[in-house]
Amino acid sequence: MPFVFQQPPLKASRALYDGPKDRATVYIMESSGGMVAGDRNDITITIGKDANVTMIQQSALKIYPSPNEKVCVQEIVVKVGEHARLEWMPEVIIPFREARFEMSTTIEMCSTSTLIWGEIIAPGREKRGEIFDFESFRSKLSLHMDGQLIALDSLSLKPGEMNLQAIGMLENAQYIGSIWVVSPNVQTLDVREIQQTFLNHSSVKVAITRLDRNAIHCRFLSEEQWEM
Amino acid sequence: MKQLKNDSSNHLNTVDIHINSTFLHLLQIHDSAFPIGNYTHSYGMETFIQENRIHTKEHLLEFCKTFLKHNLAYGDAIFIQEAYKETEKRDMNALLSLDELCGAVKLAKESREASINVGKQFMRTILPLHEYPLLSDWQAHIKSGKAKGHYAIVFGIFCSLNNFDRDQAVMLHLYSTINGLIQNAVRAVPFGQNTGVQVLHELLECISEVANSVRGLTVQDISNNALHIELASMKHEYLFSRLFIS
Repeated sequence: MPFVFQQPPLKASRALYDGPKDRATVYIMESSGGMVAGDRNDITITIGKDANVTMIQQSALKIYPSPNEKVCVQEIVVKVGEHARLEWMPEVIIPFREARFEMSTTIEMCSTSTLIWGEIIAPGREKRGEIFDFESFRSKLSLHMDGQLIALDSLSLKPGEMNLQAIGMLENAQYIGSIWVVSPNVQTLDVREIQQTFLNHSSVKVAITRLDRNAIHCRFLSEEQWEM
Repeated sequence: MKQLKNDSSNHLNTVDIHINSTFLHLLQIHDSAFPIGNYTHSYGMETFIQENRIHTKEHLLEFCKTFLKHNLAYGDAIFIQEAYKETEKRDMNALLSLDELCGAVKLAKESREASINVGKQFMRTILPLHEYPLLSDWQAHIKSGKAKGHYAIVFGIFCSLNNFDRDQAVMLHLYSTINGLIQNAVRAVPFGQNTGVQVLHELLECISEVANSVRGLTVQDISNNALHIELASMKHEYLFSRLFIS
């Protein structure tokens, strides 16, 4: 890892080589324990040509209540270079009661690069009955390939102002999961078969779809985190 | 001409509908006989129907409300409004990026293709009616691949070029899309014609409220919270038998 610029409470581990050969694993740590009213996290990741990287968040991202009405903001910008590969393991984002959170993720790919990106949003600390008690949750993920915008996943949840249980909304689901797969080899994947496997094996509601260019998006809606 | 422009910039003036052919033309492009193929798309509703999740009038009403308030309002309605404004400024680059964004938010492959196909049909139908240089340019961009030709964008461009009232155009678009969905549900579930009429009637207030709220929204507000409808659109292509293309 040639350059690391960091400022507490955010910290990146050094590159660990414990998996397959030539694959660097980097942990992103957040030493404060969570984001509090008005906090801001900025993460910029640049994956150089031919690099193979797995990034792992050390723990769930907890968003504490915002009694002062200030919004916590997280902005992630990722660039994946030619023939490079990035895997981002999902850790759950947990907005607590009265939390206000805004996150924006911008991913720039080349047609030769590979990406596996995951994300899970929790309704709150569900096991203690804190379910959709947050104020607002805004999330935008945009995926670009060679400068072209190929996907924008934009959510704006305000449980106090909308009926999330209505038909067509989240209904009984409490957890929202997404996986994005971008790869020059994506065309060879049989998405119909993957969809079929989901239908047979899972109580989680799942669907998979092809995006423009060589990308696939998969959405999970689940009542339980564990099942997902 | 100036008078006409002033008249047509009145906001949602449903009480005082102007007696002129411009308004009739706006009605004409929303008529169910206008051949853009809306009746062939269910936008994910068919998955709900096959999973037996829409079988009462109340289910249909709730589904339409979600689609209206969380999909259309924060999606195509904003795109129409923005395309209308950018056409007034004759900003071709802004229109091209709107078209790109319009495809990017439609994550489900079939929703994206439906939007392009309806746009294509709309373009084919209106081109012989008018001679607008901007529309010919847009057609050229679609042919060269610079634009995909999403319906909401070409619809916004067309409404602006014709000086249709912007808010009325958005409202009528919401109305005709919801009407199309209800008619498709009447055929596919099936429901009686009267059920369809009653559901649409119960939604009229909601449609005009949503149209009103869209006026304050911009591209920054684009979102899609109707996640189960999106999931259904994604699953639609894998259904065993299908009445609708999307």
